[in-house]
Amino acid sequence: MNAHATRSRPLVEMINIHKSFGGVHAVEDVSIDLFAGEVVGVLGHNGAGKSCLMRVLSGAMAPNAGTIRMGDEDVRFLSPQDARRQGVETIYQTLALADHLDAPSNLFLGRELKTRWGNIDDKTMMEEARRVLHRLNPNFKNLSDPVSRLSGGQRQVIAIARAIYFKVKILIMDEPTAALGPAETAMVADLIRQLRSEGIGIFLISHDMHDVFHLCDRIVVMNRGRNVGGYRIEEVTKDDVLSLIIKGEMPDGWQPRGTKRTRQPGQNSI
Amino acid sequence: MSVVVERLAVPLTRVKISSDALHKLSALFTLFMLVGLFAFGNAAFLSVGNGLTVLLQTSVIGLLGIGMTLVIVTGGIDLSVGSVLALSGTVAGLAVKAGIPVPLGMAMGIAVGALCGVVNGIVVTKMRITPFVATLGMMLIARGTALQITGAAPISQLGEAFGRLGNGSLFRMIGMGSNGLPKVIFPGIPYPAILLVVVAVAVGFMLRRRSIGRHIYATGSNEEAARLSGVEVDRTKIAAYVMSGALAGLAGIVLMSRLVTAQPNEGVMYELDAIAAAVIGGASLMGGVGNVSGTMIGAFIIGVLRNGLNMAGVSAFIQQIIIGFVVIMAVYVDQLRSRR
Repeated sequence: MNAHATRSRPLVEMINIHKSFGGVHAVEDVSIDLFAGEVVGVLGHNGAGKSCLMRVLSGAMAPNAGTIRMGDEDVRFLSPQDARRQGVETIYQTLALADHLDAPSNLFLGRELKTRWGNIDDKTMMEEARRVLHRLNPNFKNLSDPVSRLSGGQRQVIAIARAIYFKVKILIMDEPTAALGPAETAMVADLIRQLRSEGIGIFLISHDMHDVFHLCDRIVVMNRGRNVGGYRIEEVTKDDVLSLIIKGEMPDGWQPRGTKRTRQPGQNSI
Repeated sequence: MSVVVERLAVPLTRVKISSDALHKLSALFTLFMLVGLFAFGNAAFLSVGNGLTVLLQTSVIGLLGIGMTLVIVTGGIDLSVGSVLALSGTVAGLAVKAGIPVPLGMAMGIAVGALCGVVNGIVVTKMRITPFVATLGMMLIARGTALQITGAAPISQLGEAFGRLGNGSLFRMIGMGSNGLPKVIFPGIPYPAILLVVVAVAVGFMLRRRSIGRHIYATGSNEEAARLSGVEVDRTKIAAYVMSGALAGLAGIVLMSRLVTAQPNEGVMYELDAIAAAVIGGASLMGGVGNVSGTMIGAFIIGVLRNGLNMAGVSAFIQQIIIGFVVIMAVYVDQLRSRR
C-alpha cells in the first residue's frame, strides 16, 4: 500500500538522533527517513528542533547520539564538506552567501574550479555560473557584481544553484520560498518537482501550508524536539497538521482521511 | 514589483563604477595631489634621490601594510606587527652576531615572525580570543622578548653583509666624473623597493587567483557562510596571521639591515601606520574588503606625506596630527560613498 514499501531502501535514515545544548534538548530521540524521488516536509514551530535536525544531516552540527545511515553504511558528518561528499546539499534559510563576492565565486565557494597550475579558473566558473543560473532564471544578470547588490530572488537562485550544481542525492531546503515573490515561488516549486522526478530526495522545511500540501509526499511534524508524527500527505488535512504542530497531537478521534488525491487514485479507500 | 526594481537597477549599476575602483581612483588622486603640492613647495622633492628615499621609507610600512591587509580582509586586525618587526630584527641581529651566516640569520628572523603569526592565529581561532586582544597580547610579548634578549641595548657592528639588503641597490651605475672622482650616474633601485614590489605582486596574485585568497575574502565577508560552504575558516585565518607575521619579520630585517643595527626599540606604533595604509587604501575593518594595490597607494600616501612634511620643515608632532586627520577623512569619504 505504502508507496515506498515497494522500494528497497531509503536514501538516508536518521535513527534515534539526539542533540542537546547544555540542559536544553533541541532534538530528542528522533528518527526520520527519506526515499529517492520523495519530498518530505519537516514541520514545526520555531524552536521545535527541525532546523537543528537538518543541521545534523548537513554536517553543520554533530549529534550527541544517534546514527545516520545512507544505503548500507553508517556515516558520520563532522563538517559540511563530509556531508557534501556524500551528496547531501543544503539550502540554508540565511542562504549562506558571502556578500562581497560575485555569483560565480559564491556558487563555487569551497570547491573552486582550478586551472592546470592550481589557480582559480574564473573564466570557466563564470561560464558555468551563467549556464546554471540562466537555467533557473533566464533574466539573471549582474553576474560579476557582489551578491549584496542582487535582489532577494537572485540571491535565492544562487543558493539553489550552488546546491544542485554538484552531484546531489539529498537536498535540504530550509524555507526556500520565505523571501520570494509569487513568480519566484512558482519557479522554486517547479524546480522541486523536477528534482523529485530526477530521483533526488528532498527535505523541505516550511511554514507555508500551501507549499507543504502542494509539494510534499510525506510530512514529519516536530514538537519540542520530538517527532510527533509522520504521515502521507493524503492522510491529513491542514487542521490535522496545525493541531500536530501546535499541540503535538492529532485532534481527538482522528482517523486517516479516506478520500485520495489524484496522485494515487483508488488507494486506501475504505 | 521586483521586476520593476531590477529594470531600474540595471542601468544604474552599469553607469556606476564599482565602489572599489572609485575608492582607488580617489586615493590615487590624493597621492598625485600631494606629490604636486610638495613639488610646488620644494623643487628638491621631485629629485631622483628623494624619490628613492620615499621608496625606501615606504617599503617597510608597505610590507607591514600588505600583511595587515590580509588579516583585515578576514575581519581581524594584527596589532603585533610593530613589535614582531623588532623581535625578528633583533633575532636576526643576534644570530648574525653569533656567527651564523647573514642569509640564514635573516631567514631565522622571518621564521620568528611567522611563528608569532602562528601563535596569533591559534589564539584567535582555537582559543576564540578576539583578534584585537590576541594581537595586543602578542604586541607586548614580542616587544618584551626583543628587549629581554638584547638587554634593551642595540646590537651594532653587524658587518657590511648585514647592511646589504637595506642599503644596496640594483643597476647602480657609477661613472667617472670630470674631476677624476667616481660619480653616481644612477643611484640604482634599492633592494627594499624591489622586495616590496615582488611581495606586493605575489600577495596580490594570491588574493586574486588562488583559492586561499578567495577564502580570505569569503571568511571576512560572512564567516558562517564560508564555513557552511566548506571553507576551512580556521586554517584560512591562521594562514593570514602567519603571512602577516612573516611579512613583519621581513620588514624587520629590511629595517635593521638599513640601520646595520638591530634595535629592540624599533617599530613602535608601526602597526598603526600599517592599519592606516590599509584603511586609506579601501580596506574595511568589518572584513571582506581590501586589496594590495589599494594598500600600496595608502602606504605611499603616508610615505609621501611624511617625507614632504619633513622637507617643508613641519615637526613630527604636527605630522602625526595631519596623518590622523587623513585616516579619519579617508574612512569618512568611504562611508559616504557606500551609504549612497
